Amino acid sequence: MDAVTYPNSEVADFISKNLIPLRIGSDVDPYAGQFNVKWTPKILILDSTGKIHQDNVGFYPPEEFIASLELGMAKMDFDLDCLEETTSHLDHILAKYPQTPEAAEAIFIGGVAEYKKSGSGEPLKNAYKKLREKYPNSEWATRAAPYRLL
Amino acid sequence: MGKTIEWITDFKEALERARKENKAVLLDFFNPQ
Repeated sequence: MDAVTYPNSEVADFISKNLIPLRIGSDVDPYAGQFNVKWTPKILILDSTGKIHQDNVGFYPPEEFIASLELGMAKMDFDLDCLEETTSHLDHILAKYPQTPEAAEAIFIGGVAEYKKSGSGEPLKNAYKKLREKYPNSEWATRAAPYRLL
Repeated sequence: MGKTIEWITDFKEALERARKENKAVLLDFFNPQ
C-alpha cells in the first residue's frame, strides 16, 4: 500500500477530503487485540465511537481502494440509518467505478436502502435484475436471488 | 499536485476529529517491521 496505493494522488486526495486517516502498527496494544489484527494491511472503516463498519485485509490497487473506502462510508451511513447519504455514496461508486468488485455490493446495498426508504419490494427486485445483468458471477447476484420472487 | 496523506497516530484524537468533522475514520493497521 505504501509503494503504490497511498502515494497515488487520487487516493490521497480522496482520503484527505473524506476520511480521518489513522495509522497504527500491528503490534500496538490495546488496539491490535481490540481489533483482532492477525495480518496486514488490515483496513477498517470506523465511526466516531470506534464501531467497525467495514473490515478488509490485503492489498488494494488505487482505483479499487477508493471504491472500497466509499463503500465503507456507505455501509457506515446505512448502519446509522442515514439512507440518503448511503444512496449518494453508492451512486457515486456505480458511476465512477463500475468495473470494480465493489460495484456489485453497491447495487445490493442500494436496493436494500431503497426498500427501507420506500417500503416497496420493487427496489430489491430491480437490484437482483441489475446484478444478474451486469455482475452475474458475483456473490451479490446469488445473495439477491430470492428477491426475484417479490 | 495531489495531497499527501497526513496520518494521525493517536486513536482517541482520530475519533474526536471524526466526531467534530462528521467523517468516518480510515484505520490502517500496518506491519512496522
